[in-house]
Formats: sequence, C-alpha cells, structure tokens
Amino acid sequence: MADADFQRQALAHLDALYNFAMYLSKRPADAEDLVQETYLRAFRFSHRFQPGTHLRAWLFQILRNTFLTFYRVREREAPIAEDGVPEWDAPMFHDAPDDDGTAMDAHTDLERAMRRLPEEFRTVLLLAEVEGLPLEEVARVMACPVGTVKSRIFRAKERLRALLRDYDTK
Amino acid sequence: MNERFDEPSDETLGRRLAGELPRHPAPARLRVAIVEATPRPRRAAWLTPLVTAAATVMVLALVALPVIPRIAPADPVDRYVRAVVSEHARTLMWGARHGEVLPAALPWLTEQSGIGLSQVFVGDDRLTFVSAEPVYLERQRGVAIHYRDEDGHMVTYVALPGAGVTVPDRARVQVDRYRPALVRDSGFAAWVWKYGDVACFLVSDMVSADDVERFKEYFVRVRTNTEPVPAY
Repeated sequence: MADADFQRQALAHLDALYNFAMYLSKRPADAEDLVQETYLRAFRFSHRFQPGTHLRAWLFQILRNTFLTFYRVREREAPIAEDGVPEWDAPMFHDAPDDDGTAMDAHTDLERAMRRLPEEFRTVLLLAEVEGLPLEEVARVMACPVGTVKSRIFRAKERLRALLRDYDTK
Repeated sequence: MNERFDEPSDETLGRRLAGELPRHPAPARLRVAIVEATPRPRRAAWLTPLVTAAATVMVLALVALPVIPRIAPADPVDRYVRAVVSEHARTLMWGARHGEVLPAALPWLTEQSGIGLSQVFVGDDRLTFVSAEPVYLERQRGVAIHYRDEDGHMVTYVALPGAGVTVPDRARVQVDRYRPALVRDSGFAAWVWKYGDVACFLVSDMVSADDVERFKEYFVRVRTNTEPVPAY
C-alpha cells in the first residue's frame, strides 16, 4: 500500500494525467474513470516504483496501459504498419466515439487535428511535445525503442501538418 | 511562393503543441474521489492481541533456547560442512587468529594441525593469500587457509582428517577434471572432496549462479595446487 508521501507526490501530477486521459479517451467521464483507475493501480503497486526514476513517466505508463487494456481492446484493431502505427488509410481507432454528444468539444484546428491522429501518434506528441518528457521516458511509456519514438514523432507531425492543411483549405 | 513554405516546421509545430493545444485541468471532484477511494492502512482489531501473543512466545523461546538440544545433522559430511562454514563465518567476522605467511609457517602449521601440505596454493592474480592457521573442528585437528578475491569475497580452504567421510554422490558436480560435491549451508557454498584420507573443503559466500561459476575456477586453482597429507 502506498504511503502518504508517495500519494502526495503522485497526486501532484493529477492535471497532467487528466489532460492526457482526455486526449486518449476523448470523453470527460471516461477520462475521470481512467485517471481514477490509474491512481488506484499506482497506489496498489507503489512498491514496484523505483525511487529516483521518473514518477510522472511511470504514471503515464500505467494510464496508457490501462487505456489500452480497458478501452481499446473493445475495438477492432486496425492494420498495423512496421512501427506499430496504423496506416494512413486504415480506420482510426474508435477508442471513444466523439459524435455521440458526450465527447469533449474541440475549440481549435490544432485540437481537432490531434483528436484525429491515431493513438500512438497522439500519445507520442502529447508526451514529448506537450508534457516535455525526454525521449527515453516516452519510449518507456510506450514500451518501444527510442528510435521508434523519433520515427513516430516525425510521422505524427507530418500527418498533423496534412490535417491542418486540410482545415486551412476548407 | 511554394505552399510548403507556409507549413510549420517540426520545431514550430512542437512549440504550437506546447503552447496552443488546450489543456484540460482535472475537476476538483476527481481529486476528492481518488483520495476517498484510496484504502487507508487500518490496524485490525485482532492484531494487537495476536502481536502480544507472538511476542510472548518469542520471549519464552529465547529463554528456553539454551536448554533445547541442538539439532545436529546426521550425515558426517553435513556436520563437517556446518563446522567449516562456522569457521569461515568466524574468520569473516573477526579475522584469522594467526597471520602467518606461507611457506615460512608450514612446519609450525603441520605440527599444530596434524596436516602436512606437500604442495599449497599460495594465491595468484585472482585469489590473494590472507592467512593460514590450525583449526579444531568436529573434534579433529586440521588446517585452514584463507584467501580473498579481487571483489572482496573471502574463500576458506579447510583440510581435516576424513577417513570416514564419504563425498555425497547426489551433490557431485563436474568441474574441470574433478567431481567435487557442492553443498550449501547457512547461505554459504562449500566444495567438498577427498584427497586420500583427507577431507577437503572450500567455502565462500558465492552462492548465486554467476558466483558459482567463478567459485568453480577458484576450486580448480586450489584443488590443483594443494596436496594435504596426514602428518600424525
């Protein structure tokens, strides 16, 4: 069981985790469930956390694994390319449909474009660019080599640019 | 102008993501829900009497310990190994009784221990000789030679009269051209072999799989270069 100090340190990252959960699940209710489940797991398995390593990255890792386990598994998997990301023409992950009235509203083209990216691309951009995690930590969260993280960032930005270009022309 | 020039570079896009992508702060109720859902350590009502009872039993056991008959292994090899391991542990804790340097001490050592060493391993670049001394284990006089390796592991060689000792076949391991037995006791590992009528032991705390491989090398060095003979 986690001690009070560990709980306090972990809860300091609540906003970052919730933000990440929102971009993963796209629905506030799911994001809340996801974050709550993440903390329960983190506290239950706090003895596995190695002091001196990045607590925030460890929490992101739990959150993403929880998301993949409980949310994405319900959906049919899309064809996977070499680096583990669905091909451009493959259907997007239906992690949480955003057209049923409960999804979060996107206010900017950038946010809209992010929401249309496959989960692997969204995650890599959120962790590396938005949260500023070092690439090694991103690789740990995503359980892949650093080289794959770099490649995904590159491809994610390409795709993001293409989506933004579409919005501009419309 | 080419349209591509209007598109943001990787760095610009990264900065936009960091600066312009809306962040969603966690609702206050979520923090409350997490804290409330976290199980708090609670002492069970039955724990206090249980701990008290356990403590009482432990105190009684400590008081009765000196009068409880000591359980000694029935197997002579196990008894020897236990004695040799105790000697090794004593040396680890308090050091050797004598810091004599071989071979100057050999005549004295033979006289005191009843074991002659026609050839003895005096150390090399891996194992450094520390000391040699007579010992009295399992009601037998014998000789102990202590070495230390480059990682600080203490290695103790003991030779005792062992006419009645049989090396257990079940524990034999092929090491180089020898087949000594590897016996473990109290967190230590011991090679056991016979050299004529002398029972030989090599003890160390090297018990992990990697350490045992190194311990095999030490055994070969000592085994090849040490020839104990009864001198009584």
